[in-house]
Amino acid sequence: MNFFSFHLMPWPHLPAPRQFLADNEAAWVTLSNAHYDPVQGADLYERYLSELVRAEELGLDGVVVNEHHQNAYGLMPSPNLMAAALTRETSRVKICVLGNALPLYNPPTRVAEEMAMLDVMSGGRLIAGLVVGGGPEYYSTNVNPTEARARFREAVDLVLEAWTRPGPFAFDGRFYQLPYVNPWPRPLQQPHPPVWIPGLGSPGTIAYCAENGFGYMGVAYYAPPESFVRQAHAYRDAVAQAGRSFDPELLGWLTTVYVADTDERAVEEAAPHLAYFQGTLAAGFVGPGKVWMPPGYIDPPALVQFLAELRAMVEGPRPSDPAAALWRRSPLVGSPATVRDRLLAVVNELGVGTVLSLLQFGSLPASLTARSTTLYAEEVVPYVRAHATPGARR
Amino acid sequence: MTGAPAAPAGAVDGPVPAPVRALLSVGDDDVTVVRGGRGEPVVYLHGLCDLHATSDGAAWTPFLGRLAEHAEVIAPALPGYNASTGVDRLEDVEDYVWHLGDIWAASGLGRVDVVGHSLGGWLAAELALRRPELVRRLVLVSPLGAHVPGLVVPPFFGAVAPRGIGGAGEARRLLFFDPDGAPAVSALPDVMTREQQLLWFGGLAGAARLGWKAPHFQSRKLSSRLGRIGVDTLVVRGVGDALVPAAMARAWADGLASASLVEVAGAGHCVALEAPESVDEVVRFLRGGAGSGVAS
Repeated sequence: MNFFSFHLMPWPHLPAPRQFLADNEAAWVTLSNAHYDPVQGADLYERYLSELVRAEELGLDGVVVNEHHQNAYGLMPSPNLMAAALTRETSRVKICVLGNALPLYNPPTRVAEEMAMLDVMSGGRLIAGLVVGGGPEYYSTNVNPTEARARFREAVDLVLEAWTRPGPFAFDGRFYQLPYVNPWPRPLQQPHPPVWIPGLGSPGTIAYCAENGFGYMGVAYYAPPESFVRQAHAYRDAVAQAGRSFDPELLGWLTTVYVADTDERAVEEAAPHLAYFQGTLAAGFVGPGKVWMPPGYIDPPALVQFLAELRAMVEGPRPSDPAAALWRRSPLVGSPATVRDRLLAVVNELGVGTVLSLLQFGSLPASLTARSTTLYAEEVVPYVRAHATPGARR
Repeated sequence: MTGAPAAPAGAVDGPVPAPVRALLSVGDDDVTVVRGGRGEPVVYLHGLCDLHATSDGAAWTPFLGRLAEHAEVIAPALPGYNASTGVDRLEDVEDYVWHLGDIWAASGLGRVDVVGHSLGGWLAAELALRRPELVRRLVLVSPLGAHVPGLVVPPFFGAVAPRGIGGAGEARRLLFFDPDGAPAVSALPDVMTREQQLLWFGGLAGAARLGWKAPHFQSRKLSSRLGRIGVDTLVVRGVGDALVPAAMARAWADGLASASLVEVAGAGHCVALEAPESVDEVVRFLRGGAGSGVAS
């Protein structure tokens, strides 16, 4: 059983959703970077890195950083820089970069090089996340979205080959042609660091992970809980289909976590910051405004379904019970007893062996983040570790 | 092409029959082709927002219905549009031009007049440049493809990004002279059916395949080679076209070896939907009356 602290390093100084959406269509692509204050930004990086370091001190198993471009949602255009800092600030935890958006790097051997550096620098603690990149990032980088997935798959092949095949060798693909692939350094972990891929439930992605022995990390904070249930079952089915044995640590659940003394207090304290996360920062790919989903990034039937679900969410009836509505998308908000019971149920029922805990979200301030993280690490994680039987039953 | 009706000899009166829509097998790909009308064959290469993008070819658009009174119209759907495949395989202008040549061959076409609108105008010009044996005369209706240094055009793909509450984003405002007029609302309604969305998003993927590179739909290479296109050409532009500003239309007319330019009042980029009567200029040109309009 692995518990990771996952950080987005968001910009917390924008207005709350109602005010923000009155003045802006999205927090992505076009929200002016004049909103970014580098003086405040310096404090934020210091604080956010410390929050990840604290996860090691509190006994969690790993930390996760990730790549976003040209938005207020995540301030790590180069997560590898953060991971590099963490190799020096931590000594035990796994460091997961989830991940590098391969189609945005040309040639993607750059990713093979930097991740090998991180693996060597960290003493073999790297988990290599490889991602297609978000839809909005195709607007921001002008990489052609209609070939995103084909380019991604070829880049994964290139990176894995670069890590495992003695160089120099020539690579002659559809998208990448390199006469000399020969990156120094090579990764410390052999044959290569574990590969994890995050997903929102695309059957193609789930099957791809299962067939290649990659971890599948289901992103759960935008979808209702039954969506992740489907994803978990689909991954285990696909693993069986591929003739592999199921490794629970390769099935991850990425979810928001907030722990306080009581359920009431947890909901009350978390609510405005979850709303900021889901309403302000996520505006741009979920929400009523612009959906920065480029043409050809997903196929038209999937896009039509995505928009129909989004519209139902946007125009659906206001919840009569706000706490129940909050729990539907963020079940791990509550007292230690509530959170550990709910977490244990998911772990044992779905076979999840890796929990990626988003312990800071939206505008959640340092003080609340620290208290919740401590309660989670001290009163939830040990209990779930002791009672978890991931993969035991379905 | 099967099931395409031959133009009935001498039948020049009466309503133009509905077009015949068929799926043509071209190399490794399928191509939806809408065909019908009476007269000499004219290939129509559609644009971003008309036939195959916002209507599926079961009926003519008004522009094509009028053109079909004077010509046999053959209107293939570009990759991604309607049921045409090829977005995964075709990568660039070079591939598209060979693909068009294959469509010509599969349709039994030789050297024919070509009317290209918007995205189709770009490809019609590229075809005339590289396969002159396939193009007799050119009509370019609000053609994309030209690049004018320093001229900033609103980014199409950002404008058409969908919205969480539905609809086609800012597409109507960008593509039409009157975004709330009947042609605009009919093509891109605030609430689109599933079928309309599939058609529209499939077409956008096809458009992105070729035109995503910024600035969208602009080819420096084509602009530098316009003078090599020798066929007589009519350029038609809606006065409110935000994607083809006046300076860009002028660059087409000045760059091509033999071209005249007509501006259409009350129309934006989607001239063919907003001002179907502009087809009269096209017909006059194809009958040999080039330059009879508001020529350059």
